[in-house]
Amino acid sequence: MMRNFFLILIGGSYGLLAAAGVFTVLAAVGLVPRFAGKTHTAEYVTIYEEMVIFGTLTGCVLSVFSRYCQFHAWWQQRCPQYVNLLDGAGTAFQAVFGLFAGMFVGCLALAIAEMLDSIPILTRRISFRHGLGLAIISMAAGKICGSLLYFLTELHRTV
Amino acid sequence: MANATVYLKCERNVEVQSEDVFLSDMAALRCMDSVISAKLKALKVHHFGSGDARRCVISSLHLVKLMEETCPGISVQIVGEPDVLVERVDVDRHKGWQQWAKCALVCLVSFFGTAFTIMAYHNDVGINDVFTEIYRMVMDREPQGLNTLEVSYSLGLAAGIILFFNHVGGRRLTKDPTPIEVAMRNYEEDVDKALISTAGREGKEVE
Repeated sequence: MMRNFFLILIGGSYGLLAAAGVFTVLAAVGLVPRFAGKTHTAEYVTIYEEMVIFGTLTGCVLSVFSRYCQFHAWWQQRCPQYVNLLDGAGTAFQAVFGLFAGMFVGCLALAIAEMLDSIPILTRRISFRHGLGLAIISMAAGKICGSLLYFLTELHRTV
Repeated sequence: MANATVYLKCERNVEVQSEDVFLSDMAALRCMDSVISAKLKALKVHHFGSGDARRCVISSLHLVKLMEETCPGISVQIVGEPDVLVERVDVDRHKGWQQWAKCALVCLVSFFGTAFTIMAYHNDVGINDVFTEIYRMVMDREPQGLNTLEVSYSLGLAAGIILFFNHVGGRRLTKDPTPIEVAMRNYEEDVDKALISTAGREGKEVE
């Protein structure tokens, strides 16, 4: 009983602090306000916040309780005849998840780079005035190449 | 009539829907003489032509000049912003299906993006290894099935997020603005400042 109480204390406080840490970074980078500003939908900011909350909770459940979230195996046990349908749905889900998660991470990466003022400082040092758009396109191209290369050569296995 | 004092309080950012911008659209006025006040409020400040930019920056000195031309002998006190950013918007900008599509897009990006971010974070810190280690330390046996630590961590995470964002399911815990609302206002202010100073540098400000 005492031991369980101790576990609850550890887990609860770690959860509180992890949430504070992760969201302080998100709020400091200011991604969601920028999305809302770009799309001129500032009045829906509350909905976006709700989405951030539920997204994080979903991600938390999926990664902490991953052994209980094996939907494919569960479905295969229940109704083996519809497995093809499930494969299609799985691929579609991967496409949706990958696309939107990629957009978010891309924005996050550049937003963090921008928060450190690396682009303004660089442009001031080498004093270039034109071609900022070109530089940004090159950055995006570099990110695509790097990401594809990473998955293609399975760099993550070398660590 | 002579020597009446007019207090002029400009907004920083104004949206108008018509082609003509009047003084009452972009500033609040205070004057003891109601005739002068009414006359100045109806003063036309700017006209958006069909080929013009949809955005312009007007200096409050320009407003003072126009006001003094309309009512000679008044003295104007500026108490608000020195420059006003005027934007012309279409009437239907704040509704329609495009608005919903954009909203849905941002919702999807926020949802999947943060789900991915927290999973990547858990992966980075190796959360399952840490939990197994702590469980072994405290309970002196291998964790089996759903354990207390994982459940209390998830509950703690949820509580932390709700405390941080200050609302859940559309209901607020306290009356303070949420962090994203604060960041939103800061961002809008930064954009306005940048637009105004760009207009000043390029000499496009109406003075």
